[in-house]
Amino acid sequence: MIKTENITKKFGKQTVLKNISTTIQHGEVVAVIGPSGSGKSTFLRCLNLLELPTEGKIWLNKQEITDPKQNKLAVRKHIGMVFQHFHLFPHMTVLDNVAYAPQKVKGISKQEAYQIATNLLAKVGLTDKEEAYPNRLSGGQKQRVAIARALAMEPEIMLFDEPTSALDPEMVKEVLDVMKDLANTGMTMVVVTHEMNFAKEVADRILFLDQGKLIEEADPSTFFQAPATERAKDFLDKVL
Amino acid sequence: MNLDFSQIVPYIPFILEGIGATLKFVSVSIVIGFILGTLLALCKVTKVPVLKPFADAYTSIFRGTPLILQLMIIYYAVPQLTGYDISAFISAVLAFGLNSAAYISEIIRGGIQAVEKGQTEAAEALGIPYRPMMAHIILPQAFKNILPAMMNEFITLTKESALVSTIGYLDLMRRAQVVGSDLYRNFEPLLFAGLIYWVMVFILTQFGRLLERRLRQSD
Repeated sequence: MIKTENITKKFGKQTVLKNISTTIQHGEVVAVIGPSGSGKSTFLRCLNLLELPTEGKIWLNKQEITDPKQNKLAVRKHIGMVFQHFHLFPHMTVLDNVAYAPQKVKGISKQEAYQIATNLLAKVGLTDKEEAYPNRLSGGQKQRVAIARALAMEPEIMLFDEPTSALDPEMVKEVLDVMKDLANTGMTMVVVTHEMNFAKEVADRILFLDQGKLIEEADPSTFFQAPATERAKDFLDKVL
Repeated sequence: MNLDFSQIVPYIPFILEGIGATLKFVSVSIVIGFILGTLLALCKVTKVPVLKPFADAYTSIFRGTPLILQLMIIYYAVPQLTGYDISAFISAVLAFGLNSAAYISEIIRGGIQAVEKGQTEAAEALGIPYRPMMAHIILPQAFKNILPAMMNEFITLTKESALVSTIGYLDLMRRAQVVGSDLYRNFEPLLFAGLIYWVMVFILTQFGRLLERRLRQSD
């Protein structure tokens, strides 16, 4: 479970997030949508402390992770993240990319780490690419490796920051399919996305952000069929 | 044209011994410069206060004054100040190592900063601590990108090493001069030494290309 209480983020004079309070329950899949510049990504990046909220508090289970004394790295062990632009380590093979963090962060044996990596790569359908370097992969393949890399840490929660926005259209599906499978295993997921169909189909709840504010929070059927706010209606008219 | 290379033949072993002398102090200087340069570069990119101004001041001093002056200060001034009679070899290694560290730290700093920010974020998001992140993720990518600049620095160092002839260290250059004054003929020994420098740099260049090709296997 992750809970935010009145988080506000300012970059200089600009306020990017305003008083966002929400709770993401264990096993829940939450889609964060909204126009660009609405603060979606910043919100997501606050959840694993890549950005520190200027004000407000965040709890991971019973622990306040925004406490200044809190070790950020210890928090991030439990929260996986997938980026829009993958950020695979280009000088490591696919297998090494996935097996690296568990060894360095959790201190598990090399053998065990590579076993985990092999299994995860099989799950995302990339067994034949284990020895390849990231530059040899397509965007969709890269993103699937990035998902496997995050899962190798066995996180409680997975954050996705526009995971399909940098992909060629025909590669979007393979990544969304992996994410659907993951959702079906009961993984807690927070997904910033422009894929409305994915949000409709897979998410348990939608967060709609605009100009840094959480202006609507609803289950997908309510949100897509009968949005409560004018702003959400307007947005949906444009994207659907 | 009054050229007679046969006269330097008896001196060839003497001159060739200079290769070892030159290589010995150049390689030690490179190692010092590389290690110190890496540490300084890390100081320059860190968020820890004090370290950055220190590293910047260091670079400013060693890049802002002539190498030959630094060499002279170390060789002549250290005994005057401390009474310790510093050898030509130690002076040379110190001057070249410390000087080269200043240049190398700038090259590496640029290399680190050129690594995409997403790499740091991806490592941080995985919970990877600073040291392994630098050692295994950021620096390997930085080194790969700066290899050509680094080879340049090593080549410069190899050639500039001839400056140590001014403090009497019997390197390749000094030996060519000694032979020149012995024979009253300077052109032949100097040309011979020049050829040897060129061959050394040529080998270094080839080695650099080989290394570059090996590092490029992930492209």
